[in-house]
Amino acid sequence: MASKANKPELIVNGKRLDGRGFRELRPIKIEAGILKNADGSAYLEWGNNKVLAAVYGPVEAQPKHMADPTKAIIKCRYSMAPFSSLSEHGRSGPNRRAIEISKVTKEVFENVVMLNEFPGSQINIFIEILQSDGGTRAAGITAAAVALASAGLHMKDLVYAVSVGKIGKELVLDLDMIEDNYSDSDMPMAISPRNGGLLLLQMDGEYTKEELAEAIKIAAEAGKTISKVQKDALRSVYEKVEERYNGE
Amino acid sequence: MEAMDMIKTAYIRGLLAKGTREDGRAKGDFRSIKISAGILQNAEGSAQVDLGATRVLAGVKLDLGEPMEDTPNEGAVAMSADLLPLASADFEMGPPSPDAIELARVVDRGIRAGRCVNTESLFIEEGKVWNIYVDIYVLNYDGNLFDASEIAAMSALLNTKVPEYENGKVIREKRIKALKVDNMVTSVTCAKIDGGIVFDPTGNEETAAQARLTVATDGQYIRAMQKGLGGSFTQQEVLDVANGAFERHGMLKNAIESSM
Amino acid sequence: MKNMVFPGDMVSNAPIRNAYVYVEDGKSYAMTIGTYDAASGQFVPLEGNWTPRIEDTVIGIISSERNNVYEVDLNFHGRALIIGGKFEKFSFKVGDVVEATIKDIEDRRTIILVYPRLLSGGLILLVKPSKIPRVIGKDNTMVKQIADSTKSTIAVGRNGMVWLNGGDAGLAAAAIQRIENEAHVPGLTERIKNMVEKTEKR
Repeated sequence: MASKANKPELIVNGKRLDGRGFRELRPIKIEAGILKNADGSAYLEWGNNKVLAAVYGPVEAQPKHMADPTKAIIKCRYSMAPFSSLSEHGRSGPNRRAIEISKVTKEVFENVVMLNEFPGSQINIFIEILQSDGGTRAAGITAAAVALASAGLHMKDLVYAVSVGKIGKELVLDLDMIEDNYSDSDMPMAISPRNGGLLLLQMDGEYTKEELAEAIKIAAEAGKTISKVQKDALRSVYEKVEERYNGE
Repeated sequence: MEAMDMIKTAYIRGLLAKGTREDGRAKGDFRSIKISAGILQNAEGSAQVDLGATRVLAGVKLDLGEPMEDTPNEGAVAMSADLLPLASADFEMGPPSPDAIELARVVDRGIRAGRCVNTESLFIEEGKVWNIYVDIYVLNYDGNLFDASEIAAMSALLNTKVPEYENGKVIREKRIKALKVDNMVTSVTCAKIDGGIVFDPTGNEETAAQARLTVATDGQYIRAMQKGLGGSFTQQEVLDVANGAFERHGMLKNAIESSM
Repeated sequence: MKNMVFPGDMVSNAPIRNAYVYVEDGKSYAMTIGTYDAASGQFVPLEGNWTPRIEDTVIGIISSERNNVYEVDLNFHGRALIIGGKFEKFSFKVGDVVEATIKDIEDRRTIILVYPRLLSGGLILLVKPSKIPRVIGKDNTMVKQIADSTKSTIAVGRNGMVWLNGGDAGLAAAAIQRIENEAHVPGLTERIKNMVEKTEKR
């Protein structure tokens, strides 16, 4: 959380600063399979966030002593471009925050990818935040899930992620940058839509137990929309090719 | 995949011996160029360049800074490049590779020597200037990163708007004034493969190349050059490539200008 | 696209046996993107990696040689070996392209190859392994059509490597890449036939 000095009024007349309702997502757009060299890829716009995700693998694990003879290992790199934020030029390469996000993101996918199919191998997931406006880890995970699916990797589920925060006494879905900076709580979650399992859960601020339960419900409800955007992106890769032959 | 590189090399050299290239281009042809300027909103300037299957994104940020001692009335331009691991199976995670550093420095030299950015226009008040950061993000690799990056950096600079500065504060949401760009530099890169020279080499052609030469020009002067890889060029070949760079400057400049 | 399923989609509320489906608590779920026809139980994956099987024909490149043991690059995350014996001496060089058959797989990632055959010259295409069956076609019809029309010699590996040599190898490569991109669109055979035959008549 940023400093509370000069905190703007985040809710005016029951609406959020960008005009959204409390449980309203920002617009989400995904395009799958956009990078030629990668085995799987996705470009995602979520509000003003712009994110690229790519998957390479399975490849031989490097260095060799890292290889697990029983299953594949996942390596994940989440990184923010130095020009991604509206504020000053950022440092190049992952910082401590990015390294933590890379770790928890990797753990999300360790849960769903069928790692035992490729013993001794490595699967690389790269997430590049080209433009950031709050909720980039959720955006990155949502994009990476599409990239993994487009790579044809076997997975138990198509995971999505979203955050639920708290402004004053209100639980609000999908915080943008300014809300993220000044809100009272934030809780990003990655969820397996098949069974509702929580694969990523982080939180800071103040939540009652009741609010925690409610926040999870809100995220699961929003997941229906996010899952649909993910699936539509994957579907349209094949439909675009099909369309070329319509009317032939 | 070194064994694969041998096959690619043999294939590319075999084709060239018959006077053809893998994508059917003539030796002097460039691939199609697509420039998308201003695709990012948080950056002060941006441009994505597709040169065939090579894709490069350049982002520009302006930060408040102090001038250098020897140029108290000028701001500075800093260029860097990242060969993102998502761009190729051969690019690795970790600190910038020598290839990335070379790429950034060659692009920087052309733009700096050509005095493209009017650095005096970056002066704000005594002791305060704008410093410009250009970051080149390689998103997909299929050869000739030098020319794609030069176009991307140049386009992003032309797309850049300077934030307002009022009462000692930077207002980034307010960007009206365009960055003053005085000159336009473009580069042309060639690969030497078994004695033949091809312009705008693909990834496979770079794998097969013995030597590489980049010439950056503003149409009047040569502004930067870089020879790469283990092989060599004859004196005549260097002059021929330099000629080629001048011949193609208008076409490249046109592509940049028409994308703005 | 009809009947398209995604990882985690339930395809049956009873357990079914299928390579692209997993069963949990008695229910069956898709584990990759593909099309699933409930009536016939047929699951066609749209993407996927290669899982080596005994008797698979593969194409690879010799990447090292020591004491008559050759390591072969199959663009696979494990190792593949051709092991020469007292009476079976090979003389491959690093960089040679070979076609071979899988005899054995140890620990699911060390592949033992037999019957190696040198493929001289030509080029290698990397094709998504999930599309290789379409490149081959029913009873080899697709690859034969392309080879006959383009006069190119073609060898197809289950690992996704395809070797092409001679004739109009460029057209043959373009046809194979088209199969890779359009395998899911009905009428593929006809389109490829038109593509390679038109040029043949020219």
